[in-house]
Amino acid sequence: MAKNLTGDLSVASANRLVDGVVVFLDDAGEWTTRLDRAAIARGERASAILLERARAEAFGVVDPFLVAVTEDEAGAIEPVSLREKIRASGLTFEAIAADAVRYA
Amino acid sequence: MPDTHFYRYDDYDRTLLAERIEQFRDQVRRRLAGELTEEQFKPLRLTNGLYLQLHAYMLRIAIPYGTLSSRQLRKLAHIARKYDRGYGHFTTRQNLQLNWIKLEDAPDAVAELAEVDMHSIQTSGNVVRNVTADHYSGVAVDEIEDPRIWCEIVRQWSTLHPEFSFLPRKFKIAITGSPNDRAAVRVHDIGLRLWRNEEGEAGFEVIVGGGLGRTPMIGKTLREFLPRDELLAYLEATLRVYNRYGRRDNLFKARIKILVHEIGADKMREEVEAEYATMKDGALRLPAETIEAIAHQFAPPILPERPAVVPTVEALRLEDRDFALWLKSNVAPHRVAGYAIVTVSLKPAGAPPGDASAVQMEGVADIADAYSQGEIRVSHEQNLVLPYVAIEDLPAVWRALGRLGFAEANVGKITDIIACPGLDYCALANARSIPVAQRISRHFAELARQHDIGDLKIKISGCINACGHHHVGHIGILGVDKNGVELYQISLGGDVDFGKTALGTILGPAVGADRVVEAVDSLVATYLDNRNEGERFVDTYRRIGLQPFKDRVYASV
Repeated sequence: MAKNLTGDLSVASANRLVDGVVVFLDDAGEWTTRLDRAAIARGERASAILLERARAEAFGVVDPFLVAVTEDEAGAIEPVSLREKIRASGLTFEAIAADAVRYA
Repeated sequence: MPDTHFYRYDDYDRTLLAERIEQFRDQVRRRLAGELTEEQFKPLRLTNGLYLQLHAYMLRIAIPYGTLSSRQLRKLAHIARKYDRGYGHFTTRQNLQLNWIKLEDAPDAVAELAEVDMHSIQTSGNVVRNVTADHYSGVAVDEIEDPRIWCEIVRQWSTLHPEFSFLPRKFKIAITGSPNDRAAVRVHDIGLRLWRNEEGEAGFEVIVGGGLGRTPMIGKTLREFLPRDELLAYLEATLRVYNRYGRRDNLFKARIKILVHEIGADKMREEVEAEYATMKDGALRLPAETIEAIAHQFAPPILPERPAVVPTVEALRLEDRDFALWLKSNVAPHRVAGYAIVTVSLKPAGAPPGDASAVQMEGVADIADAYSQGEIRVSHEQNLVLPYVAIEDLPAVWRALGRLGFAEANVGKITDIIACPGLDYCALANARSIPVAQRISRHFAELARQHDIGDLKIKISGCINACGHHHVGHIGILGVDKNGVELYQISLGGDVDFGKTALGTILGPAVGADRVVEAVDSLVATYLDNRNEGERFVDTYRRIGLQPFKDRVYASV
């Protein structure tokens, strides 16, 4: 079970303007589709700074916001809420393919 | 010969649409260039039906009165393949949603839609939305008059209506032309029911203030009988009263149902009638020739005479159980002898309800061309309908649908589930809907068992906004979030059959996601143990009440 080992953790997320894809702000101030590359804010003050930074880098994305995450012993992070888990990892069922006539 | 048996755009419609697309193209360009902020752009994209959901933009395409030509359905398939991930989701408002549209592609997608006289305007925002109708319009045995004529008249009146572009909230209108309501008119902001008075004249019962969502209400009748030519003036008066008195201070109290509830149906009627008195003989009174011109476009096709009794169909019915079950559940009587109405189930076992791939859409379009006068309907129960199938052709249609995975004999049965997109897609949802529907569908997949259980409507919503109509499901399932855990509240006894429209009663405490199937199984077992001959699930519930169901569910979960 993942634990929040270092207090309240968060990452900054948004949807990419051009296509709506879920993105996260990395340490270099770039937006990435990879949650494992997201900059992690540890604690309330760092979270506020991260959000401010995300808003400053908001050209090309829509409405940045903070996502609460947990971190395990290996440093892997995971969103706390189911909604954000789904945003980060996609549909929880297999959608039908364009050429399909049978559902898998 | 026209390529459709319903309204065809004229130059006015096409010019309006072309201008609108160019405006939208420029708005998107300015947003991508950073000339518009999201705050400025959001209302513009929403007005064009473009939402931003969890993972992507979603384009909601209007299918007026749920009627499509095969050409239009092929275009939808093409757009899904070219601009999306190759599939679409038919909704409870007879629309199609594409879930993975890119903002930069959206103007091209809507321009392609316009090539087949379709658009996505007013599928969002606080405006009059796509007007829905009985999916058996024009072919139902019990129909007084084709309601799509009136849907089209309302569509023309309400499209970009300047006075109603900023209503307190969204506004949904549904019209049925049959006593057996298949359009859920009592749970719409305005529901219209065509009927004939003692003099034999057709007119509307005007039902106002119905709706589901956070505060479900059954609509109240403001007018028992409204002459047809007075429809637009009466609608305008009703919308004007709502626009004036509807609450704009509280998003959750802004729908017309709250206004009707707060001031009462009598006061609402008084206000509407007073407003109506000032305009009833004005420009909105519909001339007979206008009505006739629109009606003419909905003239039914001239169907060749076909036999009403077909020995080969009877023989196949007797020798093939699956065909027999399909005839029983998916085929309805037609007003023309020798023909039938076929419902195409978009609910194969374990599939996301209402989803169709591009290949499946094209396949249905081909079948419609070969066997249904090139016409398809979308039902609010998230299925498609072939409205003009000769009885003689039923075996061929059944086989062709089977090759598409769309011949499941489950229409009206426990796996014919309505489900909203839920938390897998929707930014408003609290819980998932589709995976729950899939588990129930797989559990009850055996067709003989479904037919033994009989008519049973399960409706699932992923949040209180109730896009999955859970309030009116025989079994309603509402997903809720409790401290980050998905729970599902079950209700029983909802219904939208005319005269019996009822909101479900909550069974008890919500159950965990892993217990929903078990709970539904217990509900079904309680019904089977208690049913009398000929009783549907909801009839047994009405007779024996909630308690036996409750006892069994909570004993097992």
